[in-house]
This record gives sequence, structure tokens and C-alpha cells, in this order.
Amino acid sequence: MKIGILMMEHNKTRQQSVMPDVVQILTDWGVAVDLIYPEQELIEIANIRVEHDLYVLKASTNLAMSVAGALHGIGAAVLNPYPVAVILRDKIVTERILRTAGVPTPDTFVTDRAEHLAPLLATGPLIIKPYRGSRGRGVRVVWDADELDELSSIDGPLFAQRYQKPEGLDRKIYCIGEQVFGVERVWPALSYEDKLGRPFTITPELRDIALRCRRTFGVDLLGLDVIISDGRPYVVDVNSFPGFKGVPDAALRLADYIFAAAEHRRQQHPSRARQPLEEMQQ
Amino acid sequence: MKAAIIGSGRIGCGFAGHLLSAAGYEVVFVARNPIMVSHLNRLGCYRVRLANGRDQTEYAVSGVRAVDTADRAASVAVLAETDLIVTAVGPTNLASVAPLVADALQTRSTPLNIFTFENLADGGAHLRSKVATCLPEGFPLDRFGFSGTLVSRAVTQRLGNPLSDEPMVFVGDPPDSFVVDATHLVAPVPAIASMIVADNFAAWMRRKLYIFSAGHATCAYLGYLKGYRYIHSAIRDGEIRSAVVEAMAEAQRGIAAIYGEAFAGGPAHLQEIIERFANAAITDSISRVARDPFRKLASEDRLLGAARLAWEAGVHPHQLLRAAAAAYCFSDPADAHAAELQKEIRVTGMRPTMRRVSGLKADDRLGRTLVTRWRQLTRHWHGDSVLLSLSHVHWA
Repeated sequence: MKIGILMMEHNKTRQQSVMPDVVQILTDWGVAVDLIYPEQELIEIANIRVEHDLYVLKASTNLAMSVAGALHGIGAAVLNPYPVAVILRDKIVTERILRTAGVPTPDTFVTDRAEHLAPLLATGPLIIKPYRGSRGRGVRVVWDADELDELSSIDGPLFAQRYQKPEGLDRKIYCIGEQVFGVERVWPALSYEDKLGRPFTITPELRDIALRCRRTFGVDLLGLDVIISDGRPYVVDVNSFPGFKGVPDAALRLADYIFAAAEHRRQQHPSRARQPLEEMQQ
Repeated sequence: MKAAIIGSGRIGCGFAGHLLSAAGYEVVFVARNPIMVSHLNRLGCYRVRLANGRDQTEYAVSGVRAVDTADRAASVAVLAETDLIVTAVGPTNLASVAPLVADALQTRSTPLNIFTFENLADGGAHLRSKVATCLPEGFPLDRFGFSGTLVSRAVTQRLGNPLSDEPMVFVGDPPDSFVVDATHLVAPVPAIASMIVADNFAAWMRRKLYIFSAGHATCAYLGYLKGYRYIHSAIRDGEIRSAVVEAMAEAQRGIAAIYGEAFAGGPAHLQEIIERFANAAITDSISRVARDPFRKLASEDRLLGAARLAWEAGVHPHQLLRAAAAAYCFSDPADAHAAELQKEIRVTGMRPTMRRVSGLKADDRLGRTLVTRWRQLTRHWHGDSVLLSLSHVHWA
């Protein structure tokens, strides 16, 4: 079994990614794992070929996404699927799909001009996020129209959600296939321990929301940020292949899932998995 | 020398066919799957991949052919002329082959051994009794040896498409020995290098069932609750690994009390078993090992038979009973028996179900502990939630 993992380099101060453990477990199981760092290579596009039973798209850099897209285009199995990973990078598209699926989200607006947001502030604060942001970077709460000038430095459209005052801790919900895990943590998380938070037992309502998201996007490795406000849950962010911090035995669970996905692919397409598209068409 | 193997599934092809072919037998499969029969006749071969971690060795089993059981005359002819019959049809299908075997025996004048590769304690006797009902009164059935066997290899996968012209591949782990019940053999006894002829077959059977199979089931049922898909994943979970080792140790002490410590084996024997469970190359799925919980929860089967034996030896079988409690939670939607078990618990309650399925009363010591364990596990359980911790029974 061969698995390629599209990775991105992190600075050395970043603590405890789950991926090294996942790779170690898969390797112990006899899987040939190749770590692919697209940013570190000169890639001749014609040489991009399907050489693995499964590709795991862990990186979210532009180049990694493009390489995943190229592999998807020539018949590779990519986890999470490339088209969904692209959708989930864009909060505007994601928000619209969540709404259609009946997933509760705060009222959400998008504009290219900060002054358009001024009338909305009359009825309460807004949370502004980079429309392609992640890990809470660039997120700010705007209470007053005076603060809108500060948004001019943000590149790209402004993604604005009605601020819902959270009750208690933030809730992170993770899906690994049909399995749903909850971790509650303080926000903002300042230390590694803060990020780990603590597991909580998922309520049927949160499970339903998580599984509805999973079904809607057709994606198996998923993270949701949920806040509870006035007793109601709101999904405020969705991530493809999150870090699963705080999920007990996360590395083993992910390795188990990835192994099953590769095995499934291998059984479905025993000879096709490693063939480039040109050969398949012949 | 000719060997007829009834059944062309994983054990039939991946173990019996491989072993007998290597021992010099001309192998003919008698099978009810016409696609597989056609495939074997078209190609005359298949492959067996024996995998241990990253080490894999593939063997070609060639010169084989097959007949369809639907062609009764051809099937009887094969069984009538063979030097050895092996069944590998699964315990629940064993009775269904009895009429065919009976027809074949009536055409023979020479003695013959029939091995049941079904991992059943009384596989040989069971088949013999079913065959006897299909024979005329006074038939000299004693000329034929019906022997149960104990197969060491786990064959977990059949890869490939029998409609194609690529040989099928059967994936298993390397062990190649099997134990045969000596008490029912008739001369001439087949000469197969890896065959262990055992006078105390029942003891071997109990050792395998109560130590290896009990550990396997413990790993599967706890692994299911913790959300793993494979045995090799579950055994890597520290809590499950400890529980499996302790469950097997409980059973081992029960076996030692009856058959002696040397026969029961020590920690090294358990370690060997754990390493087999950790072998990812055979991709042994939790759903395969856990399936049919009714059978696995029966009074004398792997978990509760072992628990009873341990109890009689003065060992409280905590881990075996927890594994049995986990088995009572097994609710894989793809497993019809699991759904039936959960329905019975819902409709009649845990205690009556336990009494019917496992023969345990809630007021005896083992039954009481099992019910307590089951209650602990099912508190806050929603059926589709994942157990995060065995020690604290914390559900995701």
C-alpha cells in the first residue's frame, strides 16, 4: 500500500501536529508513506503522476491545492476530495452551502468595501474574517463604524458574521468518517494546553449538525467551530482536515481511517490506482 | 494423491488448497459458487499471499480444478475417487454438505479420512452424525474417519474478481500448521508435514478458542466501541492491548488449571498472539472478527466459556466479562445478527437476553458482573457514539 501525504512546512515552534504520529503508525503497519512538500520542489507538471493508492491532502497552500487538483484530474484518490477542499477554503461558498443544508449559522454578509458594513453595526457587532482564513488568523470583532477603517488592510472580500455572544467555552467538533468528537476549549487559546481543551460528550443536536455537514460536503475529515448563544448552536467555521487537537488517540484514529480509505481504493481499483490518465484511456 | 476440498472460500483456498497442493496432492474444489468454479477451471490456479508486517511472500497454487455442487454426479465422482476430503464451508453450512458426502461414501470401497477445517470443537462428529442420517441403515460408516481440525492461519481477504482472467489472491498470515483429532482417524493417515495429530484434540481446541479466539474477540468488541476499523488498530490502543492481554491471561490460568501450565503457555505465548493481531498486512477487520455475536456469546464459546473456566480455577474473569459486555453492545448496522441481538435486548431486556444467549442468570456471580459491566458501558451510550476511554467509560 502506498500513500502520499501533501504537507506544508511549519515553523519549528509549532507544537505537536498530529501528522508525524499518523505517519509513524502507518509506516509501522507496513504502508509506504511518502511525504510530499510541494513548496520544496521544482515540479515538472507533465511528471505529476498517480503513484500512490491514496493521496492525503493535509496542506492548504496554493501549490499543494493545485498539485492535489492535478492528481484529482488524472484519476487519483485524494482525501479529502479536492473539489470539497477547494470549497471549504472559501468561507463565502461554504456559508451558502451550510445555509442550504439547514445548518445553523449566524447572519452573514460579504462585501469588498468596509463602509458597506456600517448600517449593519446599528443592530449589533460583527465578526470580520478573511474569507480564506484559517486558525483564527485575522479575525476581529467590530463594534462601531469608526473601526471599519482598520479593515482596509485586509486583502480580498470582507466576510462578516453577526456576532453571537458565546456561552461558556468554544466547542470544536471533529468528524472522522461517521465518528463525531467534541472538544471544548477557551478562546482565544493561548497555550498548547488551551488548544487541547477537554473532550465533551456530543449532544444529539450537535451530532446531527456535524453529520449533516459531513453529508452535505461529502467529506470525512472535518472540523466545525460551534458556539452556543442564547441556548442555540451556531456553526461559525468549517475546516477540511483540521488538527484534531484534544481528540483522544487522534493519530491512531486518523491512521485507522486513512488505512481503510487506501484499502478501499485499492480493492475498488486494484490496477487503476497507480495508472496515469493517459494509460487508463488507452 | 488426490484431495477434494468442499468450499472455495478463504480457508478452502487460502489454507487447505495451499497446504495440500504443497504436500503434493492434486487438488479439486467442490464448490457452490459457479463463478468461482468457472474461474478456477479457466485459470487452473490462484495465489496465496502470506503477510507479516512489511514481509510478504506470494505463492502460486497451480494445477487445481473445480466442480460445481449443482452438478451432483460430477461432485460425487470427485469425492468418490479422492484420497482425502476436506470441508471448509463455515460452521453454519457444514450440515448442508452431508447429503453429498453420503452419496460419495456409498460409491467407495476404500477407507477415507474427512477433515473439517471449520474450527469447530465437534466438527468431525457433527458432520458424521449428519452424514449418518443420509445413509441406509447398516452402512459401515466406521470405515471412514471424520476428524475435526484446528487451523492456525487467519485468511482475511480474497482479492480480485473471479469474472476476470487474473488469478484470485488470498491474503493470510504465515502459520501453516493444523491440529487434527487423532481419535477419529482411519488408516491410511495422510502425510502432511504441518499436520499435528493430537490425541487430546479437545484440549487444543479449548486452548485456541479460550486464549487466541477470546483475545481476538476482546480486541474486536472493545475496538468496535472505540471506533476502530481494524484489529491492528485496536491492538495498538494501550487500553485495549492491556485488556486483551489480561483477558487471555485469565483464560490461560483456566486452561493451566486443567491441562497444566506447560500446555497453557506463558506470557511469551500471549505476546506471539498479540503480534499476530498487530499484523496490519492481513487487514483483519473488526466487523469480520466481531460478526455473529450470538455464537460468540454462547455459554461454552470463546468469551464466556473461557470466563467459566477461569472462574472454576479461582480467577475472577474481569476482562473476559467486560469483553462479553462489549459484545452485548455490538451493533454494527451491516451485521444482521448484531441488529437482532440489540432488538432482543430492547424488547426483552438485558437479563432475559443474557440468560437465553449465554445461559447466565443475573443472580449468579458471573451473570451479575456481566450485567454490571454492560450497564457501565451503556450509560450515556447512543449506539453510534464512540467510546473515548475504557477506564472512565467516557463517550464522545
